[in-house]
Amino acid sequence: MEKGVLDMEVRPMKIQFNAADEALDKKEAGKGKQNRVNKDALTTVLYPVLFGVLILVLWQTQLLHRILGTDTFTLPLPGRIINIILANVPEILKNVQATVIVAVGGLVLGSVLGYLLGIVAMAFPKWGYGGISIASAFTAVPIVAIAPILNNLTKDFSDDPHVRSMIAKTLVVMITCTVSMAINAYRGFTELKPFSLDLMKSYAASKMTVFLKLRVPNSLPYVFTALRISVPASIISALVSEYFAEYIIGVGRQIRESIVLAQYATAWAYILVACVIGIMMYAILLVTEGVVLKGRRR
Amino acid sequence: MDRAKRVFSSKQLVTLVWLIGLVVVWEIVASVVQQTKRTPEYVLPHIYQIVDSVFSQNLVNGSQTASQVVLTHAGITLARAGIGFLIGSAIGFVLALLMHMFLPVEKIAFPYLMLIQMIPILGMAPIVLAITKDIDKSRIVIAAILTFYPVATNTLAGFKAVEKEKLELMYSIAASKKDIYRKLLIPSSIPYFFTGLKISAPMAITASILVDTLQGGGGLGCMLSQSLKHAMSIYVFWQIVFFSAIIGILSFYLMSLVERLVSPHTKVRR
Repeated sequence: MEKGVLDMEVRPMKIQFNAADEALDKKEAGKGKQNRVNKDALTTVLYPVLFGVLILVLWQTQLLHRILGTDTFTLPLPGRIINIILANVPEILKNVQATVIVAVGGLVLGSVLGYLLGIVAMAFPKWGYGGISIASAFTAVPIVAIAPILNNLTKDFSDDPHVRSMIAKTLVVMITCTVSMAINAYRGFTELKPFSLDLMKSYAASKMTVFLKLRVPNSLPYVFTALRISVPASIISALVSEYFAEYIIGVGRQIRESIVLAQYATAWAYILVACVIGIMMYAILLVTEGVVLKGRRR
Repeated sequence: MDRAKRVFSSKQLVTLVWLIGLVVVWEIVASVVQQTKRTPEYVLPHIYQIVDSVFSQNLVNGSQTASQVVLTHAGITLARAGIGFLIGSAIGFVLALLMHMFLPVEKIAFPYLMLIQMIPILGMAPIVLAITKDIDKSRIVIAAILTFYPVATNTLAGFKAVEKEKLELMYSIAASKKDIYRKLLIPSSIPYFFTGLKISAPMAITASILVDTLQGGGGLGCMLSQSLKHAMSIYVFWQIVFFSAIIGILSFYLMSLVERLVSPHTKVRR
């Protein structure tokens, strides 16, 4: 019980951003205890699936179009969207590759930088944490404003517009991912279990040992908390930075270009692809988290 | 508590030093840029040049100065963002309430709330524009969508975080369901509700600006892209960057302020 209370206290960031996951964890835990799992579990799966099917049926029978006051031109039927995806696999893969490289590259760079900043902030708490809290204010700066600046800044980095757009986009993603990692890493380094630091002192452990054996392991759950925020954010900022990039490539850019050309069905195909990328990256994160933090939580 | 106080007393100092540091770094980079690039004001102008442009009387589009342009279009953008934000937070709160009251609703909505936070909604902005066919409506819709799910998930978490003992007390005094919601559940979910608002306020503004860039018809984003395309002074762009940054940050603090006004008794430790 006491452990549970502690967990709640040291992970407020997670509650803030992923209240949904938290509630799900709890629900699953509760379900395990009760034995009328069958009906409960069945409805948990059945209700959302039925709802999804209902929407799809409404969509396919064009009732949805009537509700939204639109037509099959702007909101094509699901079958048509799937057909377009299947017909354009190589083209779509090329754009997916561009977007995923930017999103993952920026995510990795930003997270590593954020983690290092967290270490710096831990070493110099007063000034470091002040710096991080200022940086966190800058996360409110819209991506829309950052993307064009970086585009201009990176104009001379390479003669190939493809390469320099990639650099600019990756930098945008990196900036959006750094701060949440820095804040969470700092919390992970400093919000230790009570008395664990005293225990380390009683062993006469050096600062390095305390860092490697206590602080780094303690920071791992916080790293995943940060990633849960920055993985979706990285994809969004990758898509948005593509809007402003010089070189026309990427899922986000294709959505926009297709709309400009009034190819709404193609745009929907790319939207579906973007959603799948988002869901898959989040799923990969959750699986990794499950493996890495196995036996740690609960 | 003591430590918190000490941090607070020196916090302004730390903040100030960091801000000065940022300005110094900016100026150094700007000087380097000025030496090396052909059009430095497109890459990184000096801060004083930007400040200068705010007060400059030169007309940038025939009838307005740079800062007038920014302010009028900011009004358009922010009004839409604000409406969308209000609608979104109302929907989010009601949805959370319904989810907590009726189990089937929770079961239906919950997986979709999870999914929606993994889906890049901003990427869908162009298609929303195509469906609504009206830039104002699409701004409102996108801002509302981006607002509603952080609010819904956080408020739901607030309902669920109510201590069991308090609920048991309510049952033991035979409080009606309405009273339980009115006197216990809703008041205790307010801090969580505001957490949701704080997350979504800057998002709503970002969304509104982004939607602006998609089509003409006014708004900060529209001016931003025009300025980048050399249609008017580049300083309009820099003013918008600073303005949107400041508004984004202020929107967060505005929510904290509203929270303190609405529920002065809840202490927030964040």
